Amino acid sequence: MADREYHRLTRSRSRSIFGIISTSRSSLWLGKDHLLCIDTTGYNENYKRFYYRDIQALTFRKTDGWIVMAGVFALLAGGFGLIAVFGGDPIVAWVFGILAGICALVLILNLAAGPGCKCFLRTAVQTEELISLNRLRRARKALERLRPLIAEAQGVLAAEEIPARMRAWTGSSALEGQSPGGAPGFEVDDPNAPPRMVS
Amino acid sequence: MDSPLQCPKCKAALAETLLNRGELVPCPGCAAPLQIEIFPALFRRFTPGQDGERLVVEDEASCFYHPEKKAVLPCEGCGRFLCALCDCELQGQHFCPACLESGKKKGRIRKLEDERYLYDNIALSLAVYPTLVFYFTLITAPMALYIAIRYWNAPRSIVHRTKLRLISAIAIASLQLAGWAVGFYLLATNAKFHG
Repeated sequence: MADREYHRLTRSRSRSIFGIISTSRSSLWLGKDHLLCIDTTGYNENYKRFYYRDIQALTFRKTDGWIVMAGVFALLAGGFGLIAVFGGDPIVAWVFGILAGICALVLILNLAAGPGCKCFLRTAVQTEELISLNRLRRARKALERLRPLIAEAQGVLAAEEIPARMRAWTGSSALEGQSPGGAPGFEVDDPNAPPRMVS
Repeated sequence: MDSPLQCPKCKAALAETLLNRGELVPCPGCAAPLQIEIFPALFRRFTPGQDGERLVVEDEASCFYHPEKKAVLPCEGCGRFLCALCDCELQGQHFCPACLESGKKKGRIRKLEDERYLYDNIALSLAVYPTLVFYFTLITAPMALYIAIRYWNAPRSIVHRTKLRLISAIAIASLQLAGWAVGFYLLATNAKFHG
C-alpha cells in the first residue's frame, strides 16, 4: 500500500450543535510536519496547516453542553416513552416507542463519549478552536498522538524548566514592551502608512 | 501577573503552576476547568526580518524588485534575483512574493493550497438527490455527467480519496438518462400507435 501523506487524527465533527442537518464539518489529520485541519461543506474543503514546530500551546476547557444535551434527550426519551406506554393506540405506541428508542440511543452515545470540551490550539499568530476535539477523552488521546511529533520538531519542555522560562519571558517582555506570546511589536510613525514592525 | 497564556473564556492570565499538569485545573478568573499543555515554541523569540543590503559596487547583481539592493539568491519559481527583503522562505525553498502569490492561486505550491472544490461530491449529489423528484433528473443527469467527465482528472480531496464517487455519479446519471430515453421512446411509439 502506498504511504499516505496524511493520517486521520479525528473523524469529522459538525461545526454547529445541529450536527444532523448541518453539512459544515471539521476534521484533523496528521501530516509529516504539520497538523492539517479540514473544514468542509461537502462541496469544498478549506485547509489550515499548523506546523509542529510552531504549536505553542493546546488548551482544553471542559464544557457543560454535554450535560444539557443529556438532560434534553433524557426528557425526550422519557416523554416519548410515557406517550408510547399510555397512548392506548398501537400505532401511537409504535411511533412514540421508536422515537423514545432513538432518543435513548443518542443519550447513551452522548454519555459514553464522556465530558465535552473546547480545544484551542495556539501559535504565534493565532489561536484556533479545533472543532473536532469536542470531547475531553478524544482531545487527550489526540494530545498523546501529537506530543511526540511536536517534541520531535521542538524538543521537550521539562516541567522544572517552565518557571525559569516564564520568568525569563516575563522579564524580557516587560523590557521590550512586547505583546503576549512574544509576538513582535508595532510602531505607527506615519498615520497614512501601515504599521512598522519593531524588533 | 504577566503571562503569555490566557484563559480562553475569561482571558485571565494563567500562572505557571497551572501549566502542563496533565489534568484539569480551575481557571483563577472564572473557575472553568482547564488543561493547558505548553511547548517550547511558546518561548521562542522572533528574529526580525532583514532589510536588504544596499549595492556598493555597480557591477553587483541587484534585486529585481529593488534595483538599489544587493541580490542574495534567485527565486526558485521564476529565477529572478532577490534581495533579503524579497526573499520569502517556505519549507527551505525561496520564492519571490509574486511567485508565492501565483503559486497559491494556481495551486502550484501545494503547501499554500488552502481550498479545493470536491467535484466528485458535486457530481454525485446532482445524480442522487434529484432522484427524489424524478422529473428534475432530465436536467441534473446531464449536468452530473458533464461535471464527472470534465473534472475526471481534477484534484480531489487533499486526503486520500478514490474515484468511486465519480464512477457512481456517471453510472446513476447514465441510468437516469437511459430511463428518460426509454420513456420518450415508449411515449412516441404509443402516440404513433394511437394516432
